[in-house]
Amino acid sequence: MPSNLLTIALPKGKLGAEAVALLGQAGLPTEGLETDSRQLLFDYPQEGYRYIICRPTDIPVYVDHGAAALGVVGKDTIEEAEPDVFELVDLKFGFCRFVVALPEAEAQAIMVDGKPDLRKLNHKRVASKFPRVAEKYFTSLGMQVEVIKLHGNIELAPRVGLAEMIVDIVSTGRTLKENQLVAVSDIFSATARLIANRVAYRMEYHRLEPLIQRLKQVVGNGG
Amino acid sequence: MVPNPAVWQIPTGVRDVLPKEAQRRRCLEESLCGLFASWGYREIIPPSLEYYEQLKSSSAEEQLYKLIDPSGRILALRPDLTTPIARMVATHLSNDPLPIRLYYFGNAFRYEVTQAGRQREFHQAGVELIGAAGTGADAEAIALAVEAITLAGVADFQVGIGQVALTHGLLENAGVPQHLVKEFKWLMARKDYVALENRMSQLGLPRERTQEILEILSLRGGLEVLLEARALVRTPAMLRAIEDLEAVYQALEALGLAKAVFFDFSILRDLDYYTGIVFEGYAAGLGYPICGGGRYDRLLGKFGLDVPAVGFALGVDRLMQVLPSMDEEKIDVLIIGGSLPERLVEANRLRQQGLAVEVDILELSREEAMRYMTGKQIGQLIELGEVGEDA
Repeated sequence: MPSNLLTIALPKGKLGAEAVALLGQAGLPTEGLETDSRQLLFDYPQEGYRYIICRPTDIPVYVDHGAAALGVVGKDTIEEAEPDVFELVDLKFGFCRFVVALPEAEAQAIMVDGKPDLRKLNHKRVASKFPRVAEKYFTSLGMQVEVIKLHGNIELAPRVGLAEMIVDIVSTGRTLKENQLVAVSDIFSATARLIANRVAYRMEYHRLEPLIQRLKQVVGNGG
Repeated sequence: MVPNPAVWQIPTGVRDVLPKEAQRRRCLEESLCGLFASWGYREIIPPSLEYYEQLKSSSAEEQLYKLIDPSGRILALRPDLTTPIARMVATHLSNDPLPIRLYYFGNAFRYEVTQAGRQREFHQAGVELIGAAGTGADAEAIALAVEAITLAGVADFQVGIGQVALTHGLLENAGVPQHLVKEFKWLMARKDYVALENRMSQLGLPRERTQEILEILSLRGGLEVLLEARALVRTPAMLRAIEDLEAVYQALEALGLAKAVFFDFSILRDLDYYTGIVFEGYAAGLGYPICGGGRYDRLLGKFGLDVPAVGFALGVDRLMQVLPSMDEEKIDVLIIGGSLPERLVEANRLRQQGLAVEVDILELSREEAMRYMTGKQIGQLIELGEVGEDA
């Protein structure tokens, strides 16, 4: 591992592309940097940076262990993984909401005075990619549910009788609508965050701090 | 998966330490022993098991390994050595003149789920300086931690120093309600300044106070940040905390250790346990601290001896991760031939000269002995009397 390079973990996909644009605006080297190619390591020895491209859910792992000093990741992933990292900057892109969603008919059935009464869903099954978030939310309401962990296409679960409801992230709500699902409760909203390894942040403070300040500025200026 | 009966498994979170590694660890511990002893510290060895009641106040309940003894009482494996040592000092050493300087080596057990770099059984080396408040004790603890990390051979490291009294003062001064202090400290420890700011404006706390907190938390560096912090604090207690840090810094500077430390007021460590100065040691290239400590003035009081204390623990397993590997110690001589009593006597004679000697107890031929030696890296073969040749 070339120890003189500052390693930044970036997610594959759309979130990664937005992260690259932001890094570019903050003056970091991004020429040829792609988050959707087969290449997983991008070194810029001249400028002293290394980027690694990971699955979004793996980013907190790389940063927690110190394999990357910094990472860009959605707050949704952080909430699920609960890594021991510093959460430094709200990067303000990648907005999404965590919601509880039900099939339209069931959503109607739990309405009391025009408001959904989630307690009617006690002991039901909930499918989610975010079992910890789902568990925590229902526990905080004093409810017990059976959480079924899935890895994708959560909206399928209620349609085939795997679960009565889902906990998922939505950005536009289109997927829900296409699957005749209705959001009945907002858990919280999430955006992309800049996270840092606890030790790297303190050991490499003089290298990281100016970079963090530049990113804050770019974000603050509506970048 | 079908379990493989030919493989003996060990539980998650514990480690086998084989001779090469064990030798490295022993070496490290021996040099640390020497250091601690030269600063006037004496070794203390607490038991692995204590009554759960006595440990639960200083540890999260879900992290304790619990057992039930035959009389039905709940026991727990020690999650650190400081709490058992505090109990021992309060019960056995309470009449000793203060301060009491103690050091320890030992394993501790914590049921951890996902934390990076943490085993469920881990080894610690540490010191406790009991019965002394003030900057002298704080400076001694930090200086000894820096010396210990240096002696261990960590090439590139830093020790960050914080002060929880300052953090408490800031929150109190800003009007954060007592029951929310824990949540705020948690946000501070994660450097989640976005959430911190949001929460403070939600509570309707004055904006200037919020800005002060954010400014103090973002300070990091040497003596100059204490000057900056001075301009931001408002109560005499907070000012005193900063003056104390200046005194600690001066002591470290006199020892030539100031370059190894920095101040960072976002270092909070265990949120409720520490009462004053706190510090953490970081090694380049390792994602988690190698050392942690601070002032814990309330712990001994729980055992009926109301005296202040400061101390630190080094993570021995973590230190081993950053230290260079070591060559295995060689055996100097293998003795074969003659009769067994002759070999034993000759071996003892050589051992008295300081050599590491193995005696053949399998009646090896010379050829067998040579093969054995190459596998084991033994330096020299000594052959007594007549030895049977392979036919």
